[in-house]
Amino acid sequence: MDVRTLIFLVGVIGLSFYFLGRYRIVTQSAQAVQRPHSLLHYYGLYPFFLAIIPSCFIIAIMQVADGFVLSILIEQYLPADIRGGDEFNKTITLSRIENIASGVIFGSPEDWLIAAANKWLIWSERAQLTTTILAISSSILLGSYAYMKVNPGFRSRNAVEQIILVMMMFCSGVAILTTIGIIFSVIFESLRFFALVSPMEFLMGLTWNPQFEGAERAGSGQEGLATYGSVPLFAGTFLISAIALTVAVPVGLMAAIYLSEYASPRIRATVKPLMEILAGIPTVVYGFFAALTVAPLVRGAGESIGLTVASESALAAGLVMGIMIIPFVSSLSDDVINAVPQSLRDAALGLGSTRSEMTKQVVLPAALPGIVASVLLAVSRAVGETMIVVMAAGLAANLSANPLDAVTTVTAQIVTILVGDQEFESAKTLSAFALALTLIVITLVLNLIALQIVKKYREQYD
Amino acid sequence: MDNFNGIEPPMDTVGNIRVNNARIMCNNVFVHYSDKRAIDNLSLDIEAQKVTAFIGPSGCGKSTFLRCLNRMNDTIATCSVTGEILLDNQDIYAPEIDVVPLRARIGMVFQKANPFPKSIFDNVAYGPKIHGLAESKSHLENQVEEALRRAGLWEEVKDRLDQPGTGLSGGQQQRLCIARTIAVSPEIILMDEPCSALDPIATAKIEELIEELSEKYTIVIVTHSMQQAARVSHRTAYFHLGRLIEVGATKELFTSPHHKLTENYITGRFG
Amino acid sequence: MTNTPDNAPKSAILSPQDAEARVRASMATRRNRETRFRMWGIAAIALSMCFLVTLFGTIMSKGIPGFFQYYVTLDVTLDRERLDPAGDLSDQSLFDGDARGLVRDALFSTLQVSGRSNRKAAGKLISLGSDERLRDYVRTHPEQLDSEQSLKFALDDDVDSFLRGFISRDTPESDRRINDKAIGFIDQLQEAGLISYEISDYLFFGSASRNAEMAGIKGAFIGSILTLAVCLSLAFPIGIASALYLEEFAPKNRLTEIIEININNLAAVPSVVFGILGLAIFINIFGLPRSIPLIGGMVLALMTLPTIIISSRAAIRAVPPSIRDGALGIGASKMQTTFHHVLPLALPGMLTGTIIGMAQALGETAPLLMIGMVAFIVDIPGSITDPGTVLPVQIFMWADFAERMFIQKTSSAIMVLLAFLVVMNSFAVWLRKKLERRW
Repeated sequence: MDVRTLIFLVGVIGLSFYFLGRYRIVTQSAQAVQRPHSLLHYYGLYPFFLAIIPSCFIIAIMQVADGFVLSILIEQYLPADIRGGDEFNKTITLSRIENIASGVIFGSPEDWLIAAANKWLIWSERAQLTTTILAISSSILLGSYAYMKVNPGFRSRNAVEQIILVMMMFCSGVAILTTIGIIFSVIFESLRFFALVSPMEFLMGLTWNPQFEGAERAGSGQEGLATYGSVPLFAGTFLISAIALTVAVPVGLMAAIYLSEYASPRIRATVKPLMEILAGIPTVVYGFFAALTVAPLVRGAGESIGLTVASESALAAGLVMGIMIIPFVSSLSDDVINAVPQSLRDAALGLGSTRSEMTKQVVLPAALPGIVASVLLAVSRAVGETMIVVMAAGLAANLSANPLDAVTTVTAQIVTILVGDQEFESAKTLSAFALALTLIVITLVLNLIALQIVKKYREQYD
Repeated sequence: MDNFNGIEPPMDTVGNIRVNNARIMCNNVFVHYSDKRAIDNLSLDIEAQKVTAFIGPSGCGKSTFLRCLNRMNDTIATCSVTGEILLDNQDIYAPEIDVVPLRARIGMVFQKANPFPKSIFDNVAYGPKIHGLAESKSHLENQVEEALRRAGLWEEVKDRLDQPGTGLSGGQQQRLCIARTIAVSPEIILMDEPCSALDPIATAKIEELIEELSEKYTIVIVTHSMQQAARVSHRTAYFHLGRLIEVGATKELFTSPHHKLTENYITGRFG
Repeated sequence: MTNTPDNAPKSAILSPQDAEARVRASMATRRNRETRFRMWGIAAIALSMCFLVTLFGTIMSKGIPGFFQYYVTLDVTLDRERLDPAGDLSDQSLFDGDARGLVRDALFSTLQVSGRSNRKAAGKLISLGSDERLRDYVRTHPEQLDSEQSLKFALDDDVDSFLRGFISRDTPESDRRINDKAIGFIDQLQEAGLISYEISDYLFFGSASRNAEMAGIKGAFIGSILTLAVCLSLAFPIGIASALYLEEFAPKNRLTEIIEININNLAAVPSVVFGILGLAIFINIFGLPRSIPLIGGMVLALMTLPTIIISSRAAIRAVPPSIRDGALGIGASKMQTTFHHVLPLALPGMLTGTIIGMAQALGETAPLLMIGMVAFIVDIPGSITDPGTVLPVQIFMWADFAERMFIQKTSSAIMVLLAFLVVMNSFAVWLRKKLERRW
């Protein structure tokens, strides 16, 4: 039975238990002349939940687990040389078996492949059967158990609420699971990467040159051909981020100051949403704009004054990234500037300050921690930004501080390495995970510091 | 009532709104917040080198009127002021008037002590610095010292001038704010319920200070405490629902009020 | 007034008169500084607005022409024998038929060309998709078989660019993508009034194609909708349940605190990292297939979850405690209070946050590249488990193609995406205004 039918069937069983439960409480309380403890529908909901929730979990777990278990089971059918060989060949062979099993056959596969595929088919049928039996029986058993408990004295509302509470707890656990997922998916592959390339080389090396076409596959003795020094990538990332912040921080901050200290409510009400439009534009659009409009413009302008500008210059990507971050800086700064108490402004004005003196000497120093925090968040945003640099900054891993050169960034490399078909065992693919790990660490640290500053700052004025 | 500059005083103000030695003259002032009227046809003189107290139940417009006197109401976009408020026979709401020198002449102390999040020294030095009142660093230091002395705070803080002003106690903070205002050398000091957040001892100190300051400065104080008005002021104005009901010498107003509303308020029937 | 007697020590604090003089003297520079500061503020806002206008201007100036393309009208004889050899109008039969030949014959007779090389040059004028277009026409109009019909066919993208003036006649023949012979034919067609500039049906109803004139966004659009549907159906209930739990039920302990810090940090994780999560967990460990909207939606759901939780919690916090007390006071359980009283009041804020999260998900590209939604897929996805792509990824792919016409189509696709976003955001604003309650 396929999954959709199964889920539908479980749903039907659940619904029947709902009505059974309700019917039972109605008849019972009529006979016993006892008022039921809870409202009637709780007596239906209790068996309903017990009938469907565990079954759904069973189905989900079986769905995820079967491919996993099958590939372990099928391994004994592989010839010894593949079984003992490297992970990469095994993965390829397994996916060939899977393809044959689902009817996609390229060329004429060897006999052992067909035998394995047949086994695969049989086992996956068995797995499906097991899932069906487990799900349906748990649904019926638990449903009936709950149904039997239904009587006027049973506190079904409390039971149902307990179930809902557990489900809600589970939902808020998803955030934790996501973090754990991120950490695990990155850490394991990173560790494998660092087994091939020393962390010192990765962190200190000045050349980034991952070999293509898997020539350096683990164990082939050719790892030496590729160099994984990530310094140029981080240098590129920080160069582009620095350009972006040079644009975004002054413009965003001045805009925030003008909007909160000078603008009339009407101008504020018009300009603020317009600035937020800049924040809502998808990054791929900025990337297109950078590659198509800004990059040629920068190149043209540079060449007209006699400078050599790479066609994918850091400056173009940085400028556009800066535009993207302006509303981010301005809305965060706006919040912190508005959090400065009006009484301080009154004090400064009452002493005869002009507005700019008040802003520069009283409001900004008071808001400084918050502004620093918002700049840190903007840095973390710039470092993690992907599409603009993928589309406009290019892939040349130059170690350069010249904004007119082409540089590449951590995120651009991650995308290039991981998009399309990868070989999961190559140091090149694994390097993307190591890059991601460092990226996460950097953004996380920036974010934690910023949140800490903001928290302190809030306490100061609350 | 004499005819004064040909302007009729509003009919329902009891007592003499004019004085001989007037520093500020207000004629037919109206204040609106959007469409809501906050001050209704108010005329009043502020006497030089004296303490004038504004009293009245909350929401009567006394703070609003005080904030009109150095144009602090400009910061509220919806607030509009009509009528004239004359300082040296010049309407402070005239278009050619610059609020910056005006506010340097008419200082203000607020209800809640609001020292800047800077050192005690920088708090007091702020005004002289922005206005360029000090010739040298030592002159500035002397100004700070003298302002703190006049505010009666010097002895308490002279050893910790570099510590943040926000670390002082409530009463000290308020005196710091007064010192900060004095350092700008104003002629007139407006005080908006300066003791409302303070304990009785700190309040007593401030009241003492106000009495000393009144030798040098013209002071207008808004207070919700009738006892305070009676203690510190020479002249008292009673406000009710945006109108000036009665004005007169403090002693007289508190002992024999002429208007029923004033009497009710003073005898504690409402307020 | 404050005149100090001559014998008293000189006061450091200036007299009000001296002070006033000094203040007045300082005013000129201070006013200038004030004006300059104000100007900087205005300049910053003007600059931002200028960026906004430039961005939209560039996209629109390129994108609006992209909604149109050049078509040629040809009189085609719908010969039943040649179009539908088996006579049953089945896909196979139509495919075996010679639609391409019929279109070419119609073109050749209009242009009165003869000779192999002339025919070859003329044949290149028309889009490669013309035969499919003719087959589609016959499928929907079988009664017109064996008659002659005037039908419109798209011109090849090079011809299109030539007609728009991007390819100049003055360029030497060897340097342009369209030769003199072809230009002659185009002139001939134009003189006969057969070339028309119309709204491009390919853009809206075509799917991915390497031929610029045939490329359309339908597949990506449907892919986006399927992905968003998955994302919404996961992120909305999970987000709201977590927000309710954390705000109303969670005990104030270490675990809750960890969850809260966690959510704040997740909101700052770069989106590309979520793509890596999807790749490593959903594809490599769970063994789910690549390129499908199901995984795209799951990844985007995890990505938007923090946004939804944070804004939902703010909405719940805005519900005054008096409402909870009122419900609890008449004997409702904590759960009933939450679901019957708090949730309905907080819902507008939660919905607004969700829509903003969805808008963010709709524009997201990087994580979807990681999970293979960047594959070249011609078929339009029919379900969440069919391989597909989404609008922003389609834009990313088209932006890489060199053909002039793709630049226009990319810009048009961007306009569609932005329109989609504007609709979502206006809906959020409308919802907030409409359902806003004042307590």
